[in-house]
Amino acid sequence: MRKFFPVEDLARDERFNQITMNDRMADQRTVITTDSRPSRAANRIVPSRGDASDAARGLMHGIFVGEIQALEGAGRTCWDFTTGEEAPFELKLDMARQCWDEARHVEISVKLSDWMGSEIGEYAENTVLFQAACSNDPVLRLAGVNRALEGLAIDVFTTMKEFGEVAGDQYLEFAEDWMLADEVTHVKMGSDWLRKITEDDPERRKKALDFQSVVDKLFSYGGTRSESQESPIGLARRFRELAGFDDQEIDVIAKLSLAALEERKAAVLEAQAAHN
Amino acid sequence: MTVEVTPSTFTYVYFDSAYIARIAQRLIGLFGLENHNIRVDINETTPLAKMRIEFGDPIVINIQSGAFEDFSRPRQQSESATTQSLGRILLKVRDRLSPEFANAPADKDLTLVQVAIWETYCVARLSRHDIDINRQRWLYNFRNRHGFNDASDRAFEKIWNSNDLTWEQLQNISDNALALVQ
Repeated sequence: MRKFFPVEDLARDERFNQITMNDRMADQRTVITTDSRPSRAANRIVPSRGDASDAARGLMHGIFVGEIQALEGAGRTCWDFTTGEEAPFELKLDMARQCWDEARHVEISVKLSDWMGSEIGEYAENTVLFQAACSNDPVLRLAGVNRALEGLAIDVFTTMKEFGEVAGDQYLEFAEDWMLADEVTHVKMGSDWLRKITEDDPERRKKALDFQSVVDKLFSYGGTRSESQESPIGLARRFRELAGFDDQEIDVIAKLSLAALEERKAAVLEAQAAHN
Repeated sequence: MTVEVTPSTFTYVYFDSAYIARIAQRLIGLFGLENHNIRVDINETTPLAKMRIEFGDPIVINIQSGAFEDFSRPRQQSESATTQSLGRILLKVRDRLSPEFANAPADKDLTLVQVAIWETYCVARLSRHDIDINRQRWLYNFRNRHGFNDASDRAFEKIWNSNDLTWEQLQNISDNALALVQ
């Protein structure tokens, strides 16, 4: 079986349309909007938003494709590295357990999407998650996928769980809560293995943490996730603590996310000035 | 009757104004709005999907580009989304022009619950014109505004299966559903 699978070759049926981060950033409408009404001070996905149902459906679809890619990424980590030499057996066992969880999350996400009135493939699939799982160093994968992306999943699931709670949608609330518990475990696995494998290799650890920072920044693009109410997704501090992030690490992500939001706002103003 | 679509060419999205005009004409015929001049103004500078009506001659429908977009292929036009969005807003235009909706609040004064009941009433009637509608999407939206319970679902069914409601009747169905769970 082939090792180190490129993102372009991921198997999908005709319902899916994949886009890259570049495609997303090429959409100038997200920065040049000339809507004369003031923008919302709060963009958090909450039931009181006028477009709450559609926004939640879109995010749910994003979770669904993210779960597929997380399954594919963890699966590749089980296979791509030589047992014992490149990756310990116990690490692979953890990745196999993660595959089991992610497969279950895919099924839960499909059922939640049905419940919310979405169809598979209704929204584009951003493949950036799997791209972060293509590093040829297992430690970088753990940092990029388990700590950065699964960390984002903690934030997303917390936002969706709260949405279900406030709306009175118990199916959404409980399903997100259960998936959230798994994600905390996945992040913890990443944190524990990162520390263990790089215990005597500070340079490798630094490289992995730098990679995590790049992925965190990429996923904070446009301030999508931050502690500001202007971001659709919040930063779930408590669950991140449970997942092995220390206060300093959470503060760094919080700052980075807020900086991304501010960069985004500055870019919007600049683009609008140029457009007008 | 005239139908105009602006802009005639697009810069930020891959939309076709002549195609939009053809879909609008078909819907205007279906809904008996042939005696009105209608202009569809598309704001292609935002991916949001809000729609707004300005009554006058012509009746102007302001639409943000997300309302016509294929979400799986960003910036591309979706025939289905264009038909559904135009259908919803044109049925709302027809309601607003009828005496049965004379007492409906102005759009800016509608609550989220009122928006949900009117949207439900519009898409339900659209679905009976052989236009593809995901009923579950609208049921979910309705539940978000009326609660996830049997009373809410019964109110949705009643609205979904109705064709000739007045604003007051629509409002009563909603009020009763909300009162039952309070």
